[in-house]
Amino acid sequence: MDGFITALKAELFVALRSNSTRLVVLLPAVISALQLVLVSFRSAGDQARDALTGQGFGPGTVDGADAWGALVDAMSTGLTLIGLTLVAYAAWSFASDKDSGALRHLLIRRVSRRALVLAKLATAHIVGALSVALMLAVAIVVANGLWQFGPVVEDGYELIGTAEIHSEIRIGLLLALVPLPAAIALGMLISVSTQNATQAITAALGLTLALDIFKALMGNFSSYLYVTYQSSLLNESYLDDVSRLVRGFSDVLIDPAALQLNQWAPWPQFLLFVVLSLIVVQYRKL
Amino acid sequence: MALEGTGSSDQVLSIAALDKRYGKTRVLQDLNLSVTRGAIHGLVGLNGSGKTTTLECVLGMQSFNSGELRVMGRHPSRLWQGRGDVVGIFDSPSVHPAMTVRQVLEHARIVCARPVRSPAEVEALLGISRYSNYRIRQLSLGNRRRASIGQALIGQPDFIILDEPFNGLDAGGVDDVLALIQHLNREHGTSFLLSSHQLAYLESICTHLAILHRGRIVLNGSVDALFHNRQARLTIRCGQLDKAYTLLAGTDGIIGITRSGSGDNGSLSMTLSNIDAAAINSTLVLAGVPVSALEMQQPNLTQLFHDVLEAH
Repeated sequence: MDGFITALKAELFVALRSNSTRLVVLLPAVISALQLVLVSFRSAGDQARDALTGQGFGPGTVDGADAWGALVDAMSTGLTLIGLTLVAYAAWSFASDKDSGALRHLLIRRVSRRALVLAKLATAHIVGALSVALMLAVAIVVANGLWQFGPVVEDGYELIGTAEIHSEIRIGLLLALVPLPAAIALGMLISVSTQNATQAITAALGLTLALDIFKALMGNFSSYLYVTYQSSLLNESYLDDVSRLVRGFSDVLIDPAALQLNQWAPWPQFLLFVVLSLIVVQYRKL
Repeated sequence: MALEGTGSSDQVLSIAALDKRYGKTRVLQDLNLSVTRGAIHGLVGLNGSGKTTTLECVLGMQSFNSGELRVMGRHPSRLWQGRGDVVGIFDSPSVHPAMTVRQVLEHARIVCARPVRSPAEVEALLGISRYSNYRIRQLSLGNRRRASIGQALIGQPDFIILDEPFNGLDAGGVDDVLALIQHLNREHGTSFLLSSHQLAYLESICTHLAILHRGRIVLNGSVDALFHNRQARLTIRCGQLDKAYTLLAGTDGIIGITRSGSGDNGSLSMTLSNIDAAAINSTLVLAGVPVSALEMQQPNLTQLFHDVLEAH
């Protein structure tokens, strides 16, 4: 298909040898692991302080909440970083090859412009999948080393069982992953539209953060914006609710309509960004 | 506009009435150029004359406003369908700076539809074997350019377009590239379009030349045809200048004789047509005029280039 397979092979060849790819894959895992370690230090410090002052062992103590809460928060931090790094990676990928002239060989010899953009999108998704998988694996392994996991219990009463926690985390993660393709496609659109890699990365990160800030100002319209469902600095994703659920909070209100929108709203935006990227790349000077 | 010879097997490049504007600035105007299969076609011009824009249009890197352009019978936007029969090598080495020379060549092998050489063979051919594991960003400009050229040599392209191929190369590097071009042209029939300011190098290798000036081709043709009507100029240092001048001024085949100096310390300069320097030397010596030096100046591209630009 217009040299797509050749382009994908060539892109993966470069990605496997690129420090930028390594950074995108490793950084979220390292940061989420670091967060877990820091939280466990703080938790141990709190427990030591409570033991010395004789507090913290009375009625109302919730067992297991710290472990699950820390794990979900670490995952949320990892996904926030993955969202930002993938936008930057997608923005960098085409623009930097344009800067160096490296994409010219592909375009002249074997690959159409559109196939090259699709191959770069596919590569960013593969890198993103690796990054998510590694981050989750590292977070789970590190959390298991630091805490004992079980049901969340208060005064002998089970607030939420392990199976239900697993289920909620799984749903929270899946819903938080749905907007990532749209974020990557936005990065690609910016990449093919800008003059150089620096401009592309700056614009992509700037726009992503601006959307994150503005989503609170958009009222109901924000429900149709993919960034609303992304783990982010101003987190409104379902994973944020999950973080409270697994701590035993019973006041978490889940709107089924919002979950439906979370599943479907990002896809039209993803398609729009991809189509615009394919149109822009066809007509611009390279 | 229909283009005569479009897709004909004897032309690897046909450009007719090409027009390109950047905003209101007309960069290329009514540009016509064709490159014959098996030719080494040089494209020369001053900075800003439109050479790189022409090559970028040819290679599909930017669009043009009007005109017809076919490369190996294809529109530039569909060059990739040729599966590597056309290769472009640009002024700046177009390679991934973080990869090693070997990785760049392995990457080129993935891209190449019909690889005919291994990366190691290409490195040996270009004399960069010892830099195989060096990252591109660690290399000198000349060696980066070699790696860039190496990408083309993994396959066996029919048509290679080179923009300023000699930039950054040392004397040995220039010789290597010139020899490589000649080798590919003679052994494999590869056609070339070379853009360069290095007129002497182009003159030594090109079969055809085109001069681009202010977005137009102002002179184009085979090297033989371009230099056919341009005579060599002879300068003679001799004694008895007046006698020599009188003698030669009346000789058939000598045009535009001028003299500088006088008496026994001067020189005569003239253009020759149908007479050679040896015959003039004999005429002078037999007449008792002492000749101390004969200097023949063959017509060259630099002179031709300046003459053409002055006329435009």
